[in-house]
Amino acid sequence: MRLQATLFLVASCVPSTLAIYADEVGHIDFHHALLGVPSEQSTFFQRPSSSSNAALLYTLSDKSLLGAVNPKDGALLWRQNLSRPAVTPGHDNQGLLRASGGTNAVVSALGDYVSAWSALDGKLIWENWSPGMPVVDLELLELEDASSAPSVTDAIALSGGKAGSVKRLDGSTGKIKWEFHDESGDVPFQVSASSTDVFYISLQPALLKGYKLRVTSLDPLTGRQTSQQVLNSDNDITGPDSVLFVGANTALPIVAWADKSHRTLKINAIGTKQVTAVNIGNTSGADIRSIKLHAPRTLNALPHFLVQYETESGSWAEVYHIDLASSTVSKAYSLPFLQGWSAFSTGTKDANVYFTRVTESETTIVSSASHGVLGRWPQHPPLDRALHAVSEVAMKGDSVALRSAIVLESGDWQLIQNGAVGWTRPEALSKALAANWADVDSQQDLAHQLEVEGHESIIKAYTHRVKRHLKDLEHLPDWLKELPKRVITSILADEVSNLDSYGVSKPVIVATKNGWVYALASGDHGKVSWRVKAAEEDAWNVKSIQIQPGLATVHVDDGSSVTLNVTTGAITQRASATGKSPLSPEDDVSSDVYIVTQEDERILGWSSKDSRVPAWVFQPAPGEKIVRATARPSHDPVASIGKVLGDRSVLYKYLTPNAALVTTVGDNSATFYLIDGVTGRILYTSTHKGVDTAQPIASAMSENWFAYSFYAEGSDPSEAKGYQLVVSEMYESPIPNDRGPLGSAANYSSIADLPLPHVISQAFIIAEPISHMAVTQTRQGITTRQLLVALPESNAIVGIPRPVIDPRRPVGRDPTSTEVEEGLMKYAPVLEFDGRWYLSHARQVAGINTVLSAPTLLESTSLIFGFGNDIFATRATPSQAFDILGKGFSKLQLLLTIVALAIGVAILAPMARKKKIDTLWKARS
Amino acid sequence: MQLLTTLSFLLFLTPAALSSKLTITIPPSQALPNPHSLPADTHATLTSINLVNSLKASLTRSARFVFTDFAVAEHKASQQDDISGSYLLDIRSSEYVFTPLRVDLDERGEVMGVWETFRGNEWGNRGAEKYARPAGGKAGGGNGDEEVVVDMRAIGRKGFYEVRQTFSPLSLFKNPMILLALVALGFTVGMPKLMENMDPELREEFEKQSRASPISGAQSAMAGGGPANFDLAGWMAGAAPRGQPAPVAESGSAGAASGKENRAGARRR
Repeated sequence: MRLQATLFLVASCVPSTLAIYADEVGHIDFHHALLGVPSEQSTFFQRPSSSSNAALLYTLSDKSLLGAVNPKDGALLWRQNLSRPAVTPGHDNQGLLRASGGTNAVVSALGDYVSAWSALDGKLIWENWSPGMPVVDLELLELEDASSAPSVTDAIALSGGKAGSVKRLDGSTGKIKWEFHDESGDVPFQVSASSTDVFYISLQPALLKGYKLRVTSLDPLTGRQTSQQVLNSDNDITGPDSVLFVGANTALPIVAWADKSHRTLKINAIGTKQVTAVNIGNTSGADIRSIKLHAPRTLNALPHFLVQYETESGSWAEVYHIDLASSTVSKAYSLPFLQGWSAFSTGTKDANVYFTRVTESETTIVSSASHGVLGRWPQHPPLDRALHAVSEVAMKGDSVALRSAIVLESGDWQLIQNGAVGWTRPEALSKALAANWADVDSQQDLAHQLEVEGHESIIKAYTHRVKRHLKDLEHLPDWLKELPKRVITSILADEVSNLDSYGVSKPVIVATKNGWVYALASGDHGKVSWRVKAAEEDAWNVKSIQIQPGLATVHVDDGSSVTLNVTTGAITQRASATGKSPLSPEDDVSSDVYIVTQEDERILGWSSKDSRVPAWVFQPAPGEKIVRATARPSHDPVASIGKVLGDRSVLYKYLTPNAALVTTVGDNSATFYLIDGVTGRILYTSTHKGVDTAQPIASAMSENWFAYSFYAEGSDPSEAKGYQLVVSEMYESPIPNDRGPLGSAANYSSIADLPLPHVISQAFIIAEPISHMAVTQTRQGITTRQLLVALPESNAIVGIPRPVIDPRRPVGRDPTSTEVEEGLMKYAPVLEFDGRWYLSHARQVAGINTVLSAPTLLESTSLIFGFGNDIFATRATPSQAFDILGKGFSKLQLLLTIVALAIGVAILAPMARKKKIDTLWKARS
Repeated sequence: MQLLTTLSFLLFLTPAALSSKLTITIPPSQALPNPHSLPADTHATLTSINLVNSLKASLTRSARFVFTDFAVAEHKASQQDDISGSYLLDIRSSEYVFTPLRVDLDERGEVMGVWETFRGNEWGNRGAEKYARPAGGKAGGGNGDEEVVVDMRAIGRKGFYEVRQTFSPLSLFKNPMILLALVALGFTVGMPKLMENMDPELREEFEKQSRASPISGAQSAMAGGGPANFDLAGWMAGAAPRGQPAPVAESGSAGAASGKENRAGARRR
């Protein structure tokens, strides 16, 4: 108790805000800036400008994030979120990304939004909207045309919607140069461009079933139709998915499709009438599961392409050459059938085309001209299954260098450089649903031993303990051996003491939407220590991750659960689906447990005594719907039950463990209900008018206070517009030293008539929306708390110190001396987020939708983990690190001071002695 | 610059059928000397309760934000098409602070006026006018170019990091206490050396003088009797040390010193 009081004093004395030190960046925090799973069609290596030597890796991910990654180290250079609120997504919501050599722009299309971005720094060049007409295909027009500047490439966009329309967009402004409307009612499918023509390919419904391919040639300068061909493909093509490939900007673009039984491959050089049918030499006998076509995209590359055939057990490929003069297609050679997965990709160097094949055990590269293997790199250890790959080839004399970026089955992105894994970006973590800190319990054995000792007789327990201690002596030589190393490293290490044993670098277990579970090493820059496909299905809806010592259990909303070992990732137990949520009231629980569930616009309270009839039902007012409910965290210790005022009187906190804050929204209003979870009684209500319910409304609760934020504007010009943060505190009574009707009773019952809290509120105007709120947690709740808010607009996580948003700040007057003593400042309606409150500091932490906080064994330190799109973890010390010797404490300096003093003493001591003796002798004379 | 003129020329050519365009430029300021150094994810938002989602404009290569087409904005009430109203314009940057603006649009989606606004103040309380459409005129002065250009200045930069107090020997020497101590040390070590190197006659004169001054008297008293024996009160009162004559007479000074030393010697014995 004394210690606690002392700690409390220490905690309240030190300034409550302290920013991160620049040298702690990367040491106490880590950040994975993620893009999402790269899509197959929109990922490529590209030089950012014609003057640069090194290529960057560009992708448009499944999360509509466009980004550039440095292939050297996998660092994200820039990213842009293409999902515009006004965008109408296309039918498959798949974005398109194109770039051409020599220009410094990448052009993207998502829904009805086409935009061009500077390839080097990701800034906008131009944007173009065509409302209601989602873009189906996008190509860049690589004309050897003297009229346009060489650094600018126009884009050809094909819009779907009611009728197809082909547009040529100016490469520097995005303005429409010409537009071609297709009024025939065909399904707009693809555009393709050769050096002389723009081809518009549409699917023309045949009389009975299937589609014919209609190819319309357009003049690239005027957009006028020059010619048109209809290819008889109605027996084979049943829809847009049946067409394998429509050649991008090769010298001679092609369109390829296969018959339904996968026996023949049909290829047409676009613009000609001739269809070449090639028999598929299926030697394996197994059914072909998929056919993929890989062809170079650059204009001057050789007209060679590779067809990949995949069966259940393996895959092979065939390489074809197109004769430009006769427009015929001939098979050149084939790559052998290999068991397991293969990911093929194309790389070009000048006009030469190379095909690479990444398999589990090796990477090979062949030239498109001949089947001789130019390079072969064995893979140790074997790679995880890859879905698709992109490659970049460098040739120097006879030696060949290759790097391939492969997308793994889990969604992660990996770079393979000459057979070695360069880097892995854990892109699957962008789909994180739940996370928790694991409890790697190394002391479990000791706890067991102690338990044994506790149960035995005194003598037996004593001998047991002596034996145990003798056994522990085994470790003494090792410990002694380690000692000098430990001393030296502790002097040279950044941190004064290794805090790992205080639980500050616990691994984090993250479950992603696609069924994978990851463990991130907090002490090692968030490196993935293991990942496991835990779900049996492709996707699961994880509700929570529960932690036991050494184990983590992932609970899914269908009632199933998977238990994993936190150090190895091995699945130890699997519970099948029960068809009910993990916390349903039918669970076998002890008596007097109250459970609150939410179902179709109602909140139900259940008592374990009666599992059929709910104890209470909360239904919001008509026209309102429940958007969020939050309660106090399960670990929320209260250090002091009252608040000591400046005049030494006490305001007693209204502390109820059962309260829940329910947010409901109406048409233009938001109502916040504070509900007692046992009785369903409404303790407090506040309604705000003029609230934009489409913008995020976040709320959090802790101790005796709660906070929420929303965007509000009144119709009256005398009201302010902006984002508001409302903080409310609950007290037992408005009068200090008064505990209300309950007095200091130790026990109270929610069912009896509970007094209502006295609530003090204050609202602040903030500059930005808040997407999620949480409160820092520490071991004993002595440290001042921070309100953690995720800012989606400026990609940051901010910890607002609790004293700053104290609702008892005096309004319209300066604080009195007693209020100053309490630390209250004059109320100001605008709350600017101080830069030092930014826990994410200069890091761009994007798309965070959940922030977690956990206590450590150190009272000063709270762990913080945010996920959603990016992954960000840090340690917060809201009252400074008062129980840690930080980096500012220099051991070396201390040692040097001691040494300097010792030297000084050693020099001065003889001098002083000599002088003393001299004076003695002088006195004698 | 070339690009800009080309751009504006192209804008001039575009038909007036499009609804108006709002461009925000960022002039260099104290907080942000080079607007081109802004990171790519900096963007501007136009917020209103009437919109389904707030409008967003990305940072362009020329360090501007351009709201091209207000017509793409989706109104919350689906039957209502016009997007007239008052909007809050913010620039979203994690590091730089910008003042918000108020943008009023008419029913055709053209900018009526842009003013500075103050957070936490009533909406009607407008600040400096950035742009106002001339009465009855078209946006942009009716000359066909309907681009409205306003500038937004960065007013501050957020400092994320705490500066750590680093140890440097130089900072140690800036401490006045350390300097004083060093000077004192220099005197104690250097003075005897200086005296030794001095010309004997000069030294004698110096010693004579120093004995005459009261401070040196105190010093000699301290050196002789030690602090335990030193009569501070007496010395401050100007009185002679106990049991010895005042150090005024030259002849008495040696006797006084010897007498005192004798005393000390006797005590030791």
